[in-house]
Amino acid sequence: MLKVIVEKEIREILGSVKFVITFGACAVLILLSFYIGAANHKANVEQYNAAKAENTRQMEGLTSWMSLEQHRIFLPPQPLAALVTGSSNDVGRTIDVHRRSELAAVDSKFNEDPIYAVFRFLDLTFIFQIVLSLFAIMLGYDAICGEKERGTLRLSFANPVPRATYILGKLLGSFITLVTALLIAILLSCLILPLLGVSLTGDEWIRLAAIIGTGLLYFGVFLTLSVFVSSRTHRTSSAFLALLVIWVVSVLIVPRSATLLAGRAVDVPSIDELAAQKTSFSRQLWTEYRDAMGSFSAPKDIDPHDMMTHFNKFMDSLSTEREAKMKVFSDRLNEDRFNRQVVQQKFAFNVARVSPAASMNLAAANLAGTSIGLKNRFHETAMEYRKVFGDFIREKTGMNLGGGMIYVEINDDGEKPDPIDPSELPVYTYSPKPLMASFSAAFVDIGILALFNLIFFVGAFVSFIRYDVR
Amino acid sequence: MLITLIEKELKAILQSPKFVATFAVCSLLMLLSVFIGIKEFQAQQKQYDVAVSLSEQGIQESTSWRGMSYKAYRKPDPMQIFVSGLTNDIGRWSHISQESSVKLRNSVYSDDPIFSVFRFIDFAFIVQVVLSLFAILFTYDAICGERENGTLKLLFSNAIKRSHYIIAKCVGSWLGLVVPIMIPILLSVLMVIAFGISLEGSDWLKLFGLMSMSIFLFTFFIVLGVFISSLTRRSNISFLFALVIWVTFVLIIPRAGVMAAGQILPVPRVAEIEGQRDAFAKDKWAIFNEKSMARWDSYNQNTSEDSDSSCGSNFVFDENELWEHMQKEDSARKIVEREIEAYETRLQEDLQQRKSGQERLAFSLSRFSPSSAYQLAAMTLAGTDINLKSRNIEVMNNYRTQFNNYVDNKISETNDLSGVFMIEISSDDGVKMNNKRDEQTIDASDMPKYIPAKSSMRQSIDALIIDGGLLGLFIILAFAGAFLRMQKYDVR
Amino acid sequence: MSENILTIEKPRLEAINLTKRYRDGVLALDNISFSVQPGEIFVMLGGNGAGKTTTINLFLNFIEPTEGEARIDGIITHKDPLAAKERVSFVSENVMLYGDFTAVQNLDYFSRIGGQSEYTKDDYRDALLRVNLAEEAHHKKLRGFSKGMRQKCGIAIAILKGAPAILLDEPTSGLDPKAGHDFIHLLKSLQKEGKSILMSTHDIFRAKAIADTIAIMNNGRIIMLKKSSELAGCNLEELYMQYMTGHDGQRLAG
Ligand SMILES: Nc1ncnc2c1ncn2[C@@H]1O[C@H](COP(=O)(O)OP(=O)(O)OP(=O)(O)O)[C@@H](O)[C@H]1O
Ligand SMILES: [Mg+2]
Repeated sequence: MLKVIVEKEIREILGSVKFVITFGACAVLILLSFYIGAANHKANVEQYNAAKAENTRQMEGLTSWMSLEQHRIFLPPQPLAALVTGSSNDVGRTIDVHRRSELAAVDSKFNEDPIYAVFRFLDLTFIFQIVLSLFAIMLGYDAICGEKERGTLRLSFANPVPRATYILGKLLGSFITLVTALLIAILLSCLILPLLGVSLTGDEWIRLAAIIGTGLLYFGVFLTLSVFVSSRTHRTSSAFLALLVIWVVSVLIVPRSATLLAGRAVDVPSIDELAAQKTSFSRQLWTEYRDAMGSFSAPKDIDPHDMMTHFNKFMDSLSTEREAKMKVFSDRLNEDRFNRQVVQQKFAFNVARVSPAASMNLAAANLAGTSIGLKNRFHETAMEYRKVFGDFIREKTGMNLGGGMIYVEINDDGEKPDPIDPSELPVYTYSPKPLMASFSAAFVDIGILALFNLIFFVGAFVSFIRYDVR
Repeated sequence: MLITLIEKELKAILQSPKFVATFAVCSLLMLLSVFIGIKEFQAQQKQYDVAVSLSEQGIQESTSWRGMSYKAYRKPDPMQIFVSGLTNDIGRWSHISQESSVKLRNSVYSDDPIFSVFRFIDFAFIVQVVLSLFAILFTYDAICGERENGTLKLLFSNAIKRSHYIIAKCVGSWLGLVVPIMIPILLSVLMVIAFGISLEGSDWLKLFGLMSMSIFLFTFFIVLGVFISSLTRRSNISFLFALVIWVTFVLIIPRAGVMAAGQILPVPRVAEIEGQRDAFAKDKWAIFNEKSMARWDSYNQNTSEDSDSSCGSNFVFDENELWEHMQKEDSARKIVEREIEAYETRLQEDLQQRKSGQERLAFSLSRFSPSSAYQLAAMTLAGTDINLKSRNIEVMNNYRTQFNNYVDNKISETNDLSGVFMIEISSDDGVKMNNKRDEQTIDASDMPKYIPAKSSMRQSIDALIIDGGLLGLFIILAFAGAFLRMQKYDVR
Repeated sequence: MSENILTIEKPRLEAINLTKRYRDGVLALDNISFSVQPGEIFVMLGGNGAGKTTTINLFLNFIEPTEGEARIDGIITHKDPLAAKERVSFVSENVMLYGDFTAVQNLDYFSRIGGQSEYTKDDYRDALLRVNLAEEAHHKKLRGFSKGMRQKCGIAIAILKGAPAILLDEPTSGLDPKAGHDFIHLLKSLQKEGKSILMSTHDIFRAKAIADTIAIMNNGRIIMLKKSSELAGCNLEELYMQYMTGHDGQRLAG
């Protein structure tokens, strides 16, 4: 019996105009999103390489590491970030590590090319979020009440069909058909990546698979939800009205409102306030240390050459001291801000998770490594790198970072000094969050999606058992 | 007759159970969005005030003209309550100083990426997404639904002109939907007043323009729904069409247009521009250094000749001459600096031109969708459009020139050497460090004031004409489509 | 000769060589001609798919004839549909009205559409009572109405329009026996007012009871056209069966 119903459902879906249209539109959009993702990734890689090359080029011809004025590191583009942009377009991609003060990432894509920010990005998660859910609604809204309107439901139940079997068959049939169809479309689209020369590592393929899985789970939520609503209404027009309202609210309104609500509820001091506090503190330090600076003296009969070294040492020791104080101060401020931000984020995300769209987005971003943590991760790796870089510079010049100085070495014999070799520089590598960590971060949201599936499935089942089929 | 038909459409909409639900949802969302907008604006305004006063305080507390820097902030515009546009994507401030060129930093989204996760909710978004969806929801079955119902047959068994019918459909639905929606629109404007947001005269005009554009977009989707319903015979098929078209118009075309333009007309990357500039600068400096070296040599020769002639102890004379030489060097250096700056300006201008070419293409492509026409117009009206960045940078650059001139003058006027470390090496005292920083703070009360950029009225009017006209055209097209289809529609 | 008839009595409804071939090739009407005079009730009988609804649709210009023409008061329906439709009321086989409107609202709307704007509430009440719709239903939304109740509203609308010709497509389907009975009386009284009535039905007995002329259709042709006076003594049901089987037999043989 179940088999008969499932078969009928599959045949009905595959043969319907509705399926052909929506699936066609869906498949085209998924394909488009993969294409755009691949094209953007390539553009980002080019930009990244150009930026890196420029950074090395500016060192060319320098004859001493002392005259290095800046050294920038760049966030390498990740292929998955092009599919799941997450916050990757908002996070600065460049950090100048040749400074003592706090690091700041600048040149976010949206700030540099605001044109992309006008209508935002067209990426895979966007297609999932908007199109898959609509697709599910369109295919599921009349599952029960539509059959009732057409009178076929009455006809079916004039036969000895158990209701449980019927609804199970319906849910299974539509789920199997639609998920299979989608999976085929998505897998075919995946082929675009290697075709356009975007190569993913094994690790990234696993992530991509998990992202697709999350998308399908999200699709399932809306499919079961539609059947559920359909089994609670008696007219198709009210079913899809209800569904569209739910859709608008949960996909478009709740996530946004949740973050804005969190922004109001949890107070996070603005960057400007922090900056001002830091500036005034550092000014205060300057005043304190000015006298100490004035007290520099060197042995009388010192060689001017050594004098410079002496002076540097002296200034270094002072600035190290000052920096230590400054660091304690700003660390405290930063940490405080960071902690508040974490509270704010938790608040926002937990509220937003009422909406499956939010869960899907969060899970996908975590899996792709473009979650909100991207900024911190880039920052942290940059700080670590600065340590290494600082050691390197100290080794080369005996000075601390940030000592911008015009250094002209004049050799008496007119020989040109050797230029520095940029390849000696320690290499900065950005590694995304490890796979397991990403998965465990996405776990909550995937779990929530699965739970939604289950709830609506049960809801549809129970409502249908009591459904008035007349 | 026409009146009867229109009346019926009105009644049908107002009496349908879905009307109450959707109207409530729409109104709620609209008011919510404006409320959020007001709160955000107030917060940003406060932040701006604090930041500006801090920045001014910083100037007052500084003790040296050298290395003086000012932080210029973008001023929040009350119109962003309705259309947040790019305000959150673009940096809020820039250093104004001799050393660094103008660069906007710290956008809201990069400071607090949490807000970028799900983006913003504002009035324009609600109109663009929710209102358009509901417009379509009310009219997607205007004609095919009546056919399914059988009422179309009954209707056309009477002496009704098809043209009258279709006009009545559009006008009736329009009245039935637009008049009620005016209520939340007016309420949201009232809310702005109630929260004490002060709007200038031009803001009111812009607000009026924005609301008219919103109604225009809403009208388009109403007529589009009627058109779609005249294309099909079954309402569930037309529902499907309507949604697919809606998704394409509202969500796909705008984005795809920009992406396509990015592929068709790529612009040089920031790194490339910087590379060109640096290469140029490096060449210039190399030449300068060589010349400077030569000058130094000749100067040394001169002084050594002098000292030879006057037998040693003319230290004062020496110092003066050294000073003169250094000043000459300084002005030579300035010339080079200026050259480099000019070159960079040229590069930037070139980049800007290509960027605006790309923008034009992108926006032309995306204007195939009425909702992007709406969004572009809304952003321009609110001054949160793509020019927000260039507009601010331009004003800041102008200010930077003023500022730098002012500081230069001050430095030469006061002969300020504070902030410069002097390392004196004398054979008697050994090496001594002298830090001449003044205890006294400087008096910068006559410093030129920074006046933040404001969006121009002209651009708003242009946007209204272009995009408003475009929307009008779309409406006419949709209506013509519906009109023609209706002439041949099989009413059975 | 036809001129002769015209001068005697001008037919109100006229089908002249009406032929309709649908786009998919189905020949739904094959060159039929008939006329209905003022004060005449013309009943079409025939199996499912015989072409009855198609005929009525042609009179309403819902479809255009492939050949021939349908005329109302001499007006060719597909030439001047608006003028033609002013002269005709219509009740469809399954009356559907606006579900969110009450019965009275529906009546009001369709009367005005039909060109009658001076009716008062009382007129609507009277009309609905005349078709036997219980008074408590008058102000209820149509959504909950049964098929027969909708049918009654449809008939009320047709009466209110006051047009000289009335087209009825299986009007009695779904009416309860009493309503069916009353409906026959209603038609009779309309006939007395001089209306021409063209009606399709499957109800042979009622057809015989009221028809002035009976046409039996099959496969798009009128295979029998007789005045009720000619049918006086005979059993219509038997005759119908005869014609149908006979015709089928012929077709099979041919
Ligand atoms: N829109 C259409 N397209 C193609 N064929 C049609 C269409 N409408 C009707 N037909 C065909 O025309 C023929 C006559 O149909 P019609 O509806 O006139 O029959 P009817 O006499 O009213 O039948 P019933 O008693 O079942 O109402 C049928 O064979 C039918 O299949
Ligand atoms: Mg029929």
